[in-house]
Amino acid sequence: MKRKALSLAVFAALASLQSQAQATHIDFTEYELPNGLHVILHEDHSTPIVTTAVMYHVGSKNEDPQRTGFAHFFEHLLFEGSDNIGRGEYMKMIQAAGGQLNANTSQDRTYYYQTVPSNQLELTLWMESERMHYAKIDDIGLETQRKVVKEEKKQRYDNTPYGQLMNVVFENAFTTHPYRWSPIGKAQYIDQATLSEFMDFYRTFYVPENAVLVIGGDIDPVKTREWVNKYFSGIPKGTKPVPRPTEVEPVQTAEKRINFYDNVQLPAVIMAYHTPKMDNPDYYALQLLTQLLSQGKSSRFQKAIVDQQQKALAVGAFTLPNEDPGVAMMFGIANSGISTEDLEKAMDAEINKVVSSEISEEEYKKLINQAENDFVTQNQRSSGVVNNLATYYTFFKDANLINTELEKYTKITRADLKRVAAKYFTRNNRLVVYYLPKSMEKK
Amino acid sequence: MKKIILSITALALASASYAQTLDRSIRPKAGPAPEIKLGKTESFTLPNGMKVFVVENHKLPTIAVSVQLDIKPELEGNKTGMMDMMSELLLTGTTTRSNDKLNEEIDFIGADINASHDGISGRGLKKHQDKIFDLMSDIAMNTKLTQEELEKVKTRTLSGMEAEENNPDQMLQKVTAAINYGKGHPYGEVATKETIKNIDIAFAQKYYSTYFRPNVAYMAIVGDITLGEARSLVEKYFGKWTKGNVPVAKYADPKAPAKTRVIVVPRDAAVQSVVNVTYPVNLQPGTPDVIKAKVANSILGGGSNGRLFLNLREAHGWTYGSYSSITQDDLKGNVTAYAKARNAVTDSSVNEMIAEMNKMRNATVGSEELQNHLTNMSGAFAIGLENPATVAQYAINIERYKMPKDYYQNYLKSLAAVTAADVQATAKKYIDPAIANIIVVGSKDEIAEKLKRFDGDGTVEFFDTYGNPVKAAEKTSTAATANVTASDVMKKYINAIGGEKALNSIKDMKVVMEGEFQGQKLTLTEIKKAPNKTKQIVAMGAMTLQKMVFDGAGGYQEAQGQKQNLEGDDLKDAQEKADILADLHPEKYGIKRTLSGIEQVNGKDAYKVEAVKGDDKTIEFYEVATGLLVKKIESADMPDGSSISLATEFGDYKEVPGSNGYKVPNTIKVPLGPGMNMDAKLISAEVNKNIDDAEFQ
Repeated sequence: MKRKALSLAVFAALASLQSQAQATHIDFTEYELPNGLHVILHEDHSTPIVTTAVMYHVGSKNEDPQRTGFAHFFEHLLFEGSDNIGRGEYMKMIQAAGGQLNANTSQDRTYYYQTVPSNQLELTLWMESERMHYAKIDDIGLETQRKVVKEEKKQRYDNTPYGQLMNVVFENAFTTHPYRWSPIGKAQYIDQATLSEFMDFYRTFYVPENAVLVIGGDIDPVKTREWVNKYFSGIPKGTKPVPRPTEVEPVQTAEKRINFYDNVQLPAVIMAYHTPKMDNPDYYALQLLTQLLSQGKSSRFQKAIVDQQQKALAVGAFTLPNEDPGVAMMFGIANSGISTEDLEKAMDAEINKVVSSEISEEEYKKLINQAENDFVTQNQRSSGVVNNLATYYTFFKDANLINTELEKYTKITRADLKRVAAKYFTRNNRLVVYYLPKSMEKK
Repeated sequence: MKKIILSITALALASASYAQTLDRSIRPKAGPAPEIKLGKTESFTLPNGMKVFVVENHKLPTIAVSVQLDIKPELEGNKTGMMDMMSELLLTGTTTRSNDKLNEEIDFIGADINASHDGISGRGLKKHQDKIFDLMSDIAMNTKLTQEELEKVKTRTLSGMEAEENNPDQMLQKVTAAINYGKGHPYGEVATKETIKNIDIAFAQKYYSTYFRPNVAYMAIVGDITLGEARSLVEKYFGKWTKGNVPVAKYADPKAPAKTRVIVVPRDAAVQSVVNVTYPVNLQPGTPDVIKAKVANSILGGGSNGRLFLNLREAHGWTYGSYSSITQDDLKGNVTAYAKARNAVTDSSVNEMIAEMNKMRNATVGSEELQNHLTNMSGAFAIGLENPATVAQYAINIERYKMPKDYYQNYLKSLAAVTAADVQATAKKYIDPAIANIIVVGSKDEIAEKLKRFDGDGTVEFFDTYGNPVKAAEKTSTAATANVTASDVMKKYINAIGGEKALNSIKDMKVVMEGEFQGQKLTLTEIKKAPNKTKQIVAMGAMTLQKMVFDGAGGYQEAQGQKQNLEGDDLKDAQEKADILADLHPEKYGIKRTLSGIEQVNGKDAYKVEAVKGDDKTIEFYEVATGLLVKKIESADMPDGSSISLATEFGDYKEVPGSNGYKVPNTIKVPLGPGMNMDAKLISAEVNKNIDDAEFQ
């Protein structure tokens, strides 16, 4: 009797442990087709919907410097249709299937995804396989998308206040590495690009061994594997190795400063500090440091510069999750009547505090709590889970980081934060941009 | 062992055979529609009357909590705008937590907490659930509304209103609310600067203490929590929330007009119009008509597959987007079709919008079109269910609006059963352009005449943004100006400000004006010395924000610590500004004026004169009775590449002492940016004080 009671108690304790672990654990399986396509399946029956996504390991950093904007333009071309999907039909088919879709291109990868009711899964697999190898790339499509992409550039970059911010930072922070241009690129290059260049790009980068297919939601894994096999196994491997940029950005040895003029009303100060690549432990510390500066109303920039000193209308700090070494950015938009020099001083004062003294235990706990909250909630929806699995696989070749990455934050100590701040937040390691109204430009 | 090998071979064979024989032109068919299961909702009621709904969802260790108040508050009247401010005011501190402390505690647990005039919401990790409930209940019960924080929020609200003042979509939204619902209905109350200024802390406090009561509250708790946990948390933190007597206000019953009304809200120098074809409808949540009406709306203008979009954008290229909506509401919903179109095609766009609405009534929808919309809507329903808060909201809706218990369980079935005949019958009942308000915000001279034909009486009514009629200066009248030219108007103006003689006797002058912007005092100083020197300064206290100096030959501008020499057009502008007699010889600066008619400015007739200089066009208004310049509209380039018009208004002209009768305006409304104005008052004006040339260095 006694023994039984004991084992029951142990069992209950184990069960509760297990349920706790399950609560945060994202289950998935992964495998590779003979042609090199990596496939990840995440089964979750709580809602009868499914997200199908393909991430191609190609972005603007793979472009020829004389063809910037190419990868993003290519993303647009791949909505034009295929041998079996008519021009303009791609979106309509997904909508008529009750689904939603989109795509985006970064410096490092290109991502396509759609969420549909789960009985439409096969359709999305067929459509993504058509996109991977059978896309119709012709002059009509090129001309249509040239117009669309130029409009997009106008709306999102040229006519948006501070829309050139990323361009300016990357163009000036980098001298050698292809991060020196941004995904939207220069319009004239897209006009110069020829059909044969596009076909070459397609056959070089849109090959199964350079992609990961992720399917998440209400799926039958056996049936899903069968469909994946049916539509993707016949796609041939590429004929040459996928090229990767080899340029290494030299270490910056002196502070860079530039003035940039644009159609804005209020001047802004932007600082960009070089960072290690995102799998480096220091990168995680930098992520926490930018949180300390600008996440929430009680963050240091927000409280000191916006609320108390009223020197800025808005402030921000963030790291950019780049595959190769990138930058951490901080910015402030000056309140009317405040000079850029004055605002820069206020920002420097806060940065210097982080460099010169350890943060309090209380603040440290806040950062870890915020990191945990962000880490957990990024998996709120199955489309989020799918995106994270694809990203972790593409850059770290470790999809299970979706369950373990938080440890990289919790390992960081207060002393680490001070050390990392002192190491990276130095004048020699940064670019300072004054983003100024055109009216202030000396002609 | 054997079996496994076999299956691998089979798989390899299968993939090989697919590669060779797969006919890629065959589009996969959809599988059988999945069963949509709504998460289970459990509920209980606290002794204080708060009804709580719990949806367990253990996918992630997070929880989301919301409090929703089912209230019909008193109308705000001449203090309209207080309720909107509640979203900020409710997060400015409680009797136990200062503003800073509240921010710190929310950030510490990495949570999000928001509030509005009829609710509070919070989300975060399960392990912080105690704190989340603690903070939310503190906001619900103990918010300390202070005069100091109210003043800050009022200032921000007023500058926000200024920034939106000239935004066409904001204007349309406000006037639509006012016209559709009227001042006797809460949806028709539109805040103005005056009503914002009227709000006092007592009004906000009374609202908070009256309506933030548990007996009118629904709470939704979703996420990684059990019913038992939820119950004890709610009892612990919200059990002390005390009941109150919550009055229920009665509102007027808004009606659609008997026949179509065309209403134009003039917006100076607009190049595009924004249009709503709109009217109130009675569509109660949960009634059988709702789903059919939503299908009809999806077909008419639900998105990029809707007919309005396909017609106005895809087929005609008149607009970037055109959409429609039908809202269900227990008070009063509305039907609205929207478009943004260039001046020249405003009337054609309205015509097509009306035609598409009528087509919904008069023709049966094709089966493929209907099917595509039904599939799209059921997909959207399924995708929406992924968020557990949706399910909790459904449970609250059923209770709050007394809907059938199985309404959402049967939603997809009801949707699938909608026929083309249903769509047409529902359209006939709800979609009717013959009883619509056609509300257009745009350039009245270019659009009003052509819109007349849509009005039931063939007349166009003019309203301001807040739904008040403005005097029908229908089209700039040219008849009254038949014998007058721009140069006559200018002569009359010169005489009105003192005459040529007075102007010629001014050797130098200094005018100082002062105004307030976002709580800061700004001083504008202008100095001129004949024949060609000027200095202009904008200062905030002792700090100079902007400065322009011109000494007759050259000069510079200084702003934000950056100095640049005057060159090109800036230099030419400075020469004109430096010339006290500029209005006597506009040709010297390449300015050509033409009279385009008479319009009203602040209720008085004024000559409208277009002054063209190179590519720049300025519109000037000279009061007919006095001859004085009362308003000037200039265009300026915006960061987004568009161009906006900035209006300066002048008033209360008074003679400058010792000046032979020279008059200057004592009040100026100065534009500071899009929709942002400052009312400046004259502090001092002096002439002939022998200003030193050294001033202009």
